[in-house]
This record gives sequence, C-alpha cells and structure tokens, in this order.
Amino acid sequence: MTSASPPPPAYDPARGREPAAGTGAAPRPVLTLRGVGKTYPNGKVALRDIELSLAEGEFVFLVGPSGAGKSTLLRLLIRDELPTSGEVIVDGADLARVPRRRVPELRRRIGIVFQDFKLLPARTVRDNVAFALEVTGTPRGRIRPAVDRALAVVGLAAAADQLPTTLSGGEQQRTAIARALVHEPRLIIADEPTGNLDPLISWEIIQLLLRINELGVTVLMATHNAEVVTSLRRRVVALEEGRIVRDEVGGYHRED
Amino acid sequence: MSVAAVATMVLMLLLLAGFWLLQAGLTAGVAYVEGKVEIVADLRDVPGAEAALVVEARALAVDVAALPEVRTVHFVSKDEALARFRERLRERGQVDLTGYLDRNPLPASLEVGLVDPREFQPVVDLLSSRSEVVDDVVEVQQLIERLTSVTNVLRTGGLVVLVLVAFVVLFIIVNTIRLAVVARREEIEIMRLVGASDAFIRWPFIFEGAFVGLLGAGAALLVLALLAGPVGDLMYGFFRVLPLELGTLARDVVLLVVGTGLGVGVLGSWLSVRSYLGR
Ligand SMILES: Nc1ncnc2c1ncn2[C@@H]1O[C@H](COP(=O)(O)OP(=O)(O)OP(=O)(O)O)[C@@H](O)[C@H]1O
Ligand SMILES: [Mg+2]
Repeated sequence: MTSASPPPPAYDPARGREPAAGTGAAPRPVLTLRGVGKTYPNGKVALRDIELSLAEGEFVFLVGPSGAGKSTLLRLLIRDELPTSGEVIVDGADLARVPRRRVPELRRRIGIVFQDFKLLPARTVRDNVAFALEVTGTPRGRIRPAVDRALAVVGLAAAADQLPTTLSGGEQQRTAIARALVHEPRLIIADEPTGNLDPLISWEIIQLLLRINELGVTVLMATHNAEVVTSLRRRVVALEEGRIVRDEVGGYHRED
Repeated sequence: MSVAAVATMVLMLLLLAGFWLLQAGLTAGVAYVEGKVEIVADLRDVPGAEAALVVEARALAVDVAALPEVRTVHFVSKDEALARFRERLRERGQVDLTGYLDRNPLPASLEVGLVDPREFQPVVDLLSSRSEVVDDVVEVQQLIERLTSVTNVLRTGGLVVLVLVAFVVLFIIVNTIRLAVVARREEIEIMRLVGASDAFIRWPFIFEGAFVGLLGAGAALLVLALLAGPVGDLMYGFFRVLPLELGTLARDVVLLVVGTGLGVGVLGSWLSVRSYLGR
C-alpha cells in the first residue's frame, strides 16, 4: 500500500513557513495573492487564479518556462501592473486600493533586483546606491551611513567610488542588491538576478541573497537556474502558462 | 536642452506677438473708424425760408442731443457747408467756380456722433420722422453694419489663429521634451522602481520646459524690442492717429510672450513626462 510512503513535503500557503510541530502561531505573511488573474490589454492571459502567500523570513524560488508569467507576478507585487482579478496584498496593503500617490511609499518597502542590473552608468557605485535614498527625499546626513552599511553587506565597500562600467557583472549585480537593501526592506524581489552571470558568479549572488535572507529579509526570486534551485532545497513555486502547478520544498523539476 | 526647441519657441512667440500686435492694430483702427462714424441728415433748403429752417433745425438738434445714443450733434450751416466745399477744392487744387453761383446750393445739415456706432436706429428714426426739416438721412446703416461684421470676423479669426499657433508650439515642445525624457528613460524607470514620487521625477523636466519657455520668451522680446524702433518710425503717423496706448500694448505683449512661453513649456513637459510615469 502507498500509505507507508512518506507524503511529499507539501507546503501550506495559509500557514506560511513550514510549521514546526508544537511551536506557536505562524509568522504573518509578507505578501498574499488571492485568486489573482492578469490579462494584458492585448488579451494575453499571463496569470490565472494564483493563490500564494509568503511568510516573513522565507526564501522562495519562482520557476517556470519562459512566458509562464514570473515577471508578471513580480510586477504585480510592486504595483507596476494591477491584477485583472483577485487581490494582491503586500505588507498588509491591498495594492488595488493603494492610491497612485502612495505607490512610491510602497515601493520603498520592497527591494527590487533585475537581470540587467539597471544601474546608472554615469554614477559611481556609491551614488547608484545613494540614488535610491536621494530620490525619496532622505536627509543627506542619513544617506552616507545607510549606503556604507549596504555596501558592506554586499562586500563592495572597496569599490564604492568606481563606475559600474569598470565592474564585473557580479559586482554590478551586487551594487544593484545594495541599492535594493538601502531602504532596509522587509521583502526583496529578484527577477532572474543571475541570468546574465556565469555559474560561479551566480553562486556568489545566491549566497549573498541567502545571507540577506538570514538577516530576516524575505526573498522571492524568479530564476531559470535549475542547478541552484535543485541543490538548495528551498520552497519552489512553479508556474506554467500562468498557473501555479507546484508549490513545495524541492528542486527545479518535479520529483515524483 | 536643445537649441532647436528654443529656436522654435522664439519663432512661435514672435508669430504670436505679431498676430497680437496685428489684431491690436486692427481693433484700434476699427475703433478709430467707428469713432468717426456719424449720422448725417441733410436739411431742407427752401429759398427764402432759410432763417425759419435754421430755427427748426436748432430745435431738432436739441431733441437729437437728448437721445442717450447720441454723443455729439453739430449743426452745419449752409455757409459752413460751402466753406468746407471750397476748402476741399483747394486741397485738391481744383478751380473754385462757386463764386459764379448766384445762390449757395449746398444744404445745411446735422452731423450726429454716436456713443456706440451700432446703436444708430433710434437716431435715424427720429431724424426721418421730422421730414418737414430733414430732407434726407444719409444711409450710414449699411456702412456701420459691414464695418462691425468685419471687426468681428477679424477678432474671432485672430483668436482662432492664436489658439492654433499655441497648439503648434505645444506640439513642438512636447516632442522636444519627449526627446529629453526618452534619453533619460532608464533613469526614470529606476527612479520609479526605487520609490521616487511622480513629482520628484517630473520636476527636472518641468524645470527644463519652463527654462526653454523663458529663454524663448526673452529672445522673442529682444527681437521685438529691436524691431520696435524702425517699425515705429515707419508707422509713426499711423500709430499717432490710432487710439493705441503704446505703454499698455507693450506690457500686454510682454505678458503674453512670457506667459505663453512659460505656460507652453511647462504644459508641454508635463504632457511628455506623464506617459512615462506608469499607472
Ligand atoms: N506588457 C505586456 N503586454 C502584453 N503581454 C505581455 C506583457 N508582458 C508580458 N506579456 C506576456 O505575458 C506572458 C508572461 O510574461 P512574463 O514576462 O511574465 O513571463 P516570464 O515567466 O517572466 O518569462 P521569462 O522567463 O522569459 O522572463 C508572456 O506570454 C508575455 O508575452
Ligand atoms: Mg521574466
């Protein structure tokens, strides 16, 4: 009989982090998607009926073939797009109800990292990181220490005065991560952060994100990097054609 | 910031100022002509009864002057009419043969100046009703109507042209600033992603638009100031006749040019950035 075999490490989104038997209440979710669908104005259905919840402190991989809707899902979280159905709740706020003028505040609570780094080429590493604080009107006196702290976390203190063009891809991505960190967000969203990097450097970036996660920051990372996902055995949310087809601790591919 | 944007701004503002001055001149010209418009009533001329008619004419003049539409009433006697006629002949260098006439053939008349040239009907009615004194009311009605309709066409036409010109400027500025926005598209995107407010992202472009507008306005005013001397000299006689307040006109043009330059620059930038600020 099959009853003898251990059940797969199923994940209960409603309870957040994998419940350890006997411990107290589950941590509150950092983000929740309920019945979320997204159809682009051109009629393309990118997401259907998404149910997803991330608890504080989790590290979650978002995987799936190209066009599955990973980037779309991440864009919903920073309210770059609005869902066509369902609710997106980030840090307790229903994004559809957040008025436009409060969106900047929301984004300051989320760190975002992209495949193409999105650094300003004419600004030094330090200034790129400081930029995130400058544009939100942070007092000058508070910028410098915050930038130094973020650069220290990513290990780029020594390169602070270099221009991005003089840095390796990995160093550029670490600059972008420092910029994402400088607002001290509770959540970091990374869309294929290792997509442009070679395997060794990719590992460095993953290690960095894991370290930031250990500091208590929730991390949601979309990736095609099967090797990394499979070997880390973290929670994996798999999308296919806009649907969640798998949500469990495991590897890049279904393991049946 | 581009030289082309400022240059187009200058050209458009010059066009705008030109149109404004033109319509101000036309309006003043029309007002001048309107002010000259009078109703002329030729009086009956009966040989032998001249003195009695003069008494009646003066009584009529008093009645006409009592009308609210009337600004001035001037009685032109037969002698004055003849004197004017001779004066006109002399001005044209024609031979004056009136001395050979045995009797002055010109009728006396009443010249009535109106408060508003469009309000002529009551005056014409009163004059026509006194046919024992009035021989003929000179047909000024059509002239006045035509003049008024021409004035209106000029005013509305001028306004339409001004609005069209403003739209052209706006279009050009929108496209110029859009180039600047596109050049900084990535920076804007990063700003949005790290949580910059719309206002923060917008203001450098608004500033640039305002700068283009002010620079253009300054250059346009400079050109106008340089042109004002020669053009003024050329048209001195003309301007002197017109009821134009040159000081007020200059102030209006400065306000128009600076206001339009600034307004169009700011509005253009605002429109350009808007589409890059997302939902
Ligand atoms: N702005 C848009 N307008 C219309 N369709 C879009 C838009 N953005 C994405 N799509 C479509 O939605 C679907 C999901 O796209 P998305 O970028 O979310 O996929 P993805 O999983 O991130 O893919 P990849 O792994 O290649 O980055 C795709 O079919 C894509 O073509
Ligand atoms: Mg993607």
